[in-house]
Amino acid sequence: MDTAFRKIDIDQYDEDVLHESELYDADPRDPAQVLEDAKQRQAAVRTALARSDVVGALSTILENAPYGPNVDQAKEITLHTLLTILNTTKSTEIPAVIKSLSQDSQDTLMKYLYKGMAMPGWGDISGSVLLGWHEKLTEIAGTGCIVRTMTDRRLV
Amino acid sequence: MALEVHTLAQTPITAHVFSPDRSQLAVSLNSNDVQIYSRQGQEWVPTETLSEHDKLITSIDWAPHSNRIVTASQDRNAYVWQEVQDPETGKLVWKPTLVLLRINRAATHVRWSPKEDKFAVASGARAIAICSFDEENNWWVSKLLKKPIRSTVLSVDWHPNNVLLAAGSADMRARVFSAYIKEVDERPAASVWGSKLPFNTICGEYTSPAGGWVHTVEFSPSGDVLAFASHDSSVNIVYPTGPVFNIRISSLPFVTLTWTAENSLVAAGHDCQPVVFSGSEAGWQSVGSLDDTTGVKAADGPRAGYGGNTSVGRLKTGAFATFRDADTRGKSSLSGAGSASADTKLLTVHQNTITSIRPYQGHPGQVSMVSTTGVDGKLVIWDVNAVAGGR
Repeated sequence: MDTAFRKIDIDQYDEDVLHESELYDADPRDPAQVLEDAKQRQAAVRTALARSDVVGALSTILENAPYGPNVDQAKEITLHTLLTILNTTKSTEIPAVIKSLSQDSQDTLMKYLYKGMAMPGWGDISGSVLLGWHEKLTEIAGTGCIVRTMTDRRLV
Repeated sequence: MALEVHTLAQTPITAHVFSPDRSQLAVSLNSNDVQIYSRQGQEWVPTETLSEHDKLITSIDWAPHSNRIVTASQDRNAYVWQEVQDPETGKLVWKPTLVLLRINRAATHVRWSPKEDKFAVASGARAIAICSFDEENNWWVSKLLKKPIRSTVLSVDWHPNNVLLAAGSADMRARVFSAYIKEVDERPAASVWGSKLPFNTICGEYTSPAGGWVHTVEFSPSGDVLAFASHDSSVNIVYPTGPVFNIRISSLPFVTLTWTAENSLVAAGHDCQPVVFSGSEAGWQSVGSLDDTTGVKAADGPRAGYGGNTSVGRLKTGAFATFRDADTRGKSSLSGAGSASADTKLLTVHQNTITSIRPYQGHPGQVSMVSTTGVDGKLVIWDVNAVAGGR
């Protein structure tokens, strides 16, 4: 039986189709500027980490995190910078660090934890580190934080 | 505290509504029929079944003054039920009247307007049908609110002025529309939502920062404030001329809410317990749950936590432990029936998602009791002033 018709994208013939861009407010910043921001933040995080200021480093990287289309490189830089912070934090310090983050930052951190876990081969981070952070973050911010990660269309 | 707990059925309760004098209760037990229960002492006894729909009934509303029931169903129809005397037996029976909704998808939610001369039917056809009675032809006609709805409308609520309508929808927006029908309504007075209000005027459009389907919307008793809960586990309170508050909760999303006073509302949902929020234009916060999840409920023995206190710990107890024991120790829940079944019971009164919450006693602006029904087939009546404590 011919089943090729099942693969036809019927949405393209629907005038009322809901587009990705209508699901959330786009980032007002220009992609080039987002990339520039991400690089600057990467440098700022390095300085903060040199002073072993983990909270400062995390808040910096999680604030105004890049989302939406056309900013893939900025997203990658941000993820890698974030993973460096997560890797260098002692597990005993994690709860205190998470508690001092704002609700917005906690939600964004959860998004990155899931992004990290979704990376093929887990990127350059071990799963146990991400799971350790995930456990502590869920303890503090609750399951609501996970629900927001799943719901939010502003993908990081 | 739960004042009364009734187990009506072993099936989910999709919607519930009390009769004006609270002596009768109409529910949809996840089926094509409306089941009416009558109160006999402490019991609810099934008395009547209203069958006319041929798909699941999604919503029921009982007009408090005119004693009419309206039902909405996935069969794309709505019926208005009126109690009339049967000419042969002389008994009172509920007689249905079909409403011409003109929608091509399921009807999802229905509410009478405050004056009971109109009702609004939300639907999956990206439209809301505003229905009014046409005296000349002796039937209910509808007019559709369409723009700019982009997806299924999940809930509707009327403003006290009988003209404005709030709607929450799966396109992640809560909107306020004008549902002004020339033949029925007088010109409404200007309010915070606007002054010129022809049909389909959009008086406001709101979304939660993290998005998510808007499960429920409701105007405050004065109609000057709008509250909605969305699937990003948050409650939003909108002052149209002032601030918009977004309260993120640490547990699972709410799917239903009701105002109890101008400065207080109760929301419930997937977390299985009703939570009270209070505040004013200066700020809003969660006050606590009506369900006491900390104590051990009498005669039930110890249960694993699902309450706010042990948000992660519970993942390792309860259901998790049941499966782990079955896997590593070969211990099945059948052999140790007592402990295992107690372990999977929730600490809350409702044992599953609460799908509907309604005022039970008091009048708008001063509600003292609310009723909830949920997927566990329970009906619970709560005293809204008995907040069990912080979360």
